[in-house]
Amino acid sequence: MKKLVLCSLLVCMCGVTYADSPETPAITPDQIKRGSGLYAQHCAPCHGPRMKDPEGSFDLRKFPRDEHERFVRSVTKGKNAMPPWGGLLQPAEIQALWAYVVAGEKN
Amino acid sequence: MRKLLLGVVLSATFGVSAHAQTQQELNRDGSGGSTDNVLTYGMGYHQQRYSPLRQITKSNVRRLVPVWTMSLANEFGEQGQPLVYNGVLYAANVKRVVAIDVGTGRQIWETPLEWDPAVARVVCCGLSNRGVALYDGKVFVASLDAHLRALDAKTGKEVWKTKVAEWKEGYSITSAPSVANGVVMTGMTGGEYGVRGFVAGYDPQTGKQLWRRYMTAGPGEKGHETWPKGDAYLRGGASTWITGSYDPELDLTYWGTSNGGPWGAVWRPGDNLWVASVVALRPKTGEMVWHYQWTPAETYDYDGNNENLLADITVDGQKRKVILHADRNGFLYVLDRATGKLIAGNAYVPVNWAKPRIDPATGRPEETEVAKRLRAGEKVELQPRWTGGKNWFPMAFNPNKQLLYFPVKHETAIYQVNKDLPSYKAGERYQGVTNTTKERTPDEAWGYYAAFDPLTAKRKWSVPQAEFPMWSGSLVTAGGLVFSGKLTGEFVAFDEDTGKELWKFQTGSGVNAQPITYTYKGRQYVTVLSGLGGGTSAKRETAGKVQPGGSVWTFALIE
Repeated sequence: MKKLVLCSLLVCMCGVTYADSPETPAITPDQIKRGSGLYAQHCAPCHGPRMKDPEGSFDLRKFPRDEHERFVRSVTKGKNAMPPWGGLLQPAEIQALWAYVVAGEKN
Repeated sequence: MRKLLLGVVLSATFGVSAHAQTQQELNRDGSGGSTDNVLTYGMGYHQQRYSPLRQITKSNVRRLVPVWTMSLANEFGEQGQPLVYNGVLYAANVKRVVAIDVGTGRQIWETPLEWDPAVARVVCCGLSNRGVALYDGKVFVASLDAHLRALDAKTGKEVWKTKVAEWKEGYSITSAPSVANGVVMTGMTGGEYGVRGFVAGYDPQTGKQLWRRYMTAGPGEKGHETWPKGDAYLRGGASTWITGSYDPELDLTYWGTSNGGPWGAVWRPGDNLWVASVVALRPKTGEMVWHYQWTPAETYDYDGNNENLLADITVDGQKRKVILHADRNGFLYVLDRATGKLIAGNAYVPVNWAKPRIDPATGRPEETEVAKRLRAGEKVELQPRWTGGKNWFPMAFNPNKQLLYFPVKHETAIYQVNKDLPSYKAGERYQGVTNTTKERTPDEAWGYYAAFDPLTAKRKWSVPQAEFPMWSGSLVTAGGLVFSGKLTGEFVAFDEDTGKELWKFQTGSGVNAQPITYTYKGRQYVTVLSGLGGGTSAKRETAGKVQPGGSVWTFALIE
């Protein structure tokens, strides 16, 4: 948890922005925490617990940090073997997932 | 006029008989029936996947070549077993059912299976359809969104469609239906989503539901005392995602049930009948005649769905009617199929959650310190991995040799039950476990392809699978060959006596399906579906190395 907070702080301090989506709201520690919980519930079974061991699914540790729009689109509408999550997750929840993915997990 | 009338009558009669499978034909499939046909899942109600055909042998199998192939235009994977009736092959995947002329490999008809793409949210482990059932001129097929359809076998046109369950509540169907004693039955899946498992029976003519037998014991039922007070049984899992076998003489159909819901047993104290069990049902009514629980208080994701293969074997000098079952939990079981009593239960892969032999006097596995630590909340190394010593892909049994043939996995999980009870929301994951895979050293085999004595679980031979594990069903023939497939695309034939690979053919995508053999105009054919699919485990092993894409391949000896 300490590591997660540190990581979040770093993200905040660096003031992450995204080339393709300049109006993306700043990431907050609360979002990262919420995203972590949503990830564990909905995403971990395929993408691996804490984004480690993604097996054959997309390795989210490698998701380009400047492609926010692509992330939202893929989660909302589905991509390849991934089903669309737009009918289940609210935009704010997808944003929290993005925050978690960008913040990352420490090994 | 009289001639014309006679002609009409004759053609009508022929038309009916050419497409109308009777219950008697189904009973004889794989039990002395015509080798031109494969009418049931498992190549016989017993699901032995044994063929008496011997045209293709150890000495001539090198002359086995493809006679046709057909694309199935599907990237989700092919796990199905085709059926064959009077020169027409019926195959299914999640996208469509097709009828193919065996003589030419040309499509006769196609019926799409359409479903909301969001259904994939409630399918844990690969979008799959394992096949169809045939009866009385109809093709029965289930779709991913938990509907059952009857199609006209001649045209593919829909005769009826019935909603089996609500996918938004976590229910889906990946298994082939089965027809027994005039009733079409289906199982379901959803054990990762807090469903209540069941098998349901339908009228083949109308699609009307005749019965629904739930697989978690409810109030007033014997077995309900194995659940905690409250309504945990309503979300208790026990899905039924592999087609049941059937004994027409005993009139019993045998279905396995999945893991419990949520995965962690700590939140549902008790044995939780009939999770991780086999149940014997009457196909006319759904009445449960007996049950046997493979894994009491199941907490490992050891689904008990693997096929319940029916065989008559000699035990202590006596012929016994038994069930053979290689469970995910690592034990190979022999049960009396009239009573459900355990005859033998031995570990067939490394097992560390229980002692390696189950005492027939108790019929209950004896848990080890590993299981105790896991139940106390510790993170443990668990063998077998949750995917099991063997997963869903069906084994083959040669009744003359009394041996089983199937690929096994030697893998170890890192497994821990989470501290908090997952909150239940309909149609969402309901697991509560953190599970990863222990890394292998490069010299360790993923698993083996092996021949097993069912009574002792000892291997007659065992061939390491070093590069990739195998996820394919098996077929054994009187020609001394065992057919199976590799994730890397090779369809292979092993020597039944030694395990030596005698023949292989590259099909272009992973083979994780169920081969069949039959005759067409006196010639022995072998058919298998190709198309990488399945859950994250198979994908993990093939990521970036094997391409998806479904097709049917049919082989015969070159003339």
